[in-house]
Amino acid sequence: MKVEIIELGDRAAKFVLSGVAPAFVNSIRRAMLAEVPTLAIDYVNIYDNTSVLFDEQLALRLGLIPLITDLDSYVLPSECSCGGEGCSQCQVSLTLSAEGPKTVYSTELVSADPSVMPAEVVPLIKLSERHRISLEAIARLGTGHDHAKWQAGIACGYKNVPKITISDECDACGMCVDACPRGVLVIADDVVKVVDERACSLCRLCEGVCELNKIYDVIKVGTHPDSFIVTAETDGSIPIRELITRSAENISDRAEALDGYLSVIDMEMEMDHHAT
Amino acid sequence: MIPVRCFTCGKVISGAWEEYKKRTKLEDPAKVLDDLGISRYCCRRMMLTHVELVDESSPYY
Amino acid sequence: MGYRCVRCKQPVEIDYEYRGIRCPYCGHRILLKERPVKIKRVCAE
Repeated sequence: MKVEIIELGDRAAKFVLSGVAPAFVNSIRRAMLAEVPTLAIDYVNIYDNTSVLFDEQLALRLGLIPLITDLDSYVLPSECSCGGEGCSQCQVSLTLSAEGPKTVYSTELVSADPSVMPAEVVPLIKLSERHRISLEAIARLGTGHDHAKWQAGIACGYKNVPKITISDECDACGMCVDACPRGVLVIADDVVKVVDERACSLCRLCEGVCELNKIYDVIKVGTHPDSFIVTAETDGSIPIRELITRSAENISDRAEALDGYLSVIDMEMEMDHHAT
Repeated sequence: MIPVRCFTCGKVISGAWEEYKKRTKLEDPAKVLDDLGISRYCCRRMMLTHVELVDESSPYY
Repeated sequence: MGYRCVRCKQPVEIDYEYRGIRCPYCGHRILLKERPVKIKRVCAE
């Protein structure tokens, strides 16, 4: 397996993964979307709300705020020593009280743990005269399996690395160059050349528009079957680097667990065999 | 109020709404969206198609 | 359960003997239900 990083920012990454099966890349994608836990507001105790939004709508908006999460200092409620009842290990309380007229932003939430705070400035609600909200929100760890608010990865996807082959029969008519929406092809010295192969969207418009393609295979858009361009983004709750490494760890943990289950089954079968 | 996240991909887009609304009075929406880093068309439609209604209903609460 | 008259803003108790709803102070027929003073727990989803 080889990794080549194209872009690596704080929140977004793009890299080429080669020498792996499509199933592996897909499991990385799925782990980024649904397996890596993050903090999100799970329920809200509303003391007062005279704003234009219903309590439920306000709670939904609060739930969708990404919270900066240190995954080493919190555990999932289902794995916590308190048994999921709620303690400082598995939940954080954030309070918010505001009075109009003004717009309330997510940054006004006061957290019990200063390391947990909103990752983005979200306008929560616009209050006018006499409008008041006062509430306590409880944030917990969760995974994207249960609700999209706990989904750390956003727009994670992959595609095969494109491979464009142009044969010697090409007469450099330029039809494919004009047809390509991504500007992948260019004519230089009377031959069609591929400039930016990875930008190709595999739409195969160039194949269709080529007159000579009806007789020979002049231009052909294929893929490298074992190399993938992976794009991933986070909502800001954890850095992208951590998201990717944690998703890989998650896969290896689950594979090990499966291995454990299988060996138990193996042993049982062997014992049955000896008994009979 | 503008939805907190994009319905399709889940990117938090609501933070960009106020600037978008202010700037589109004078500028081209496509340019503003590019500036604000809203690149995917799922997120762009969240901004383009949103109608702000809180100010309409707030006098009656 | 407390109500409040929309016109005269007075707190109103509903008289169930009377067939209909009406503010006893000003006769207005639109009353709003007051929010109860208790903590409401809402699931954020």
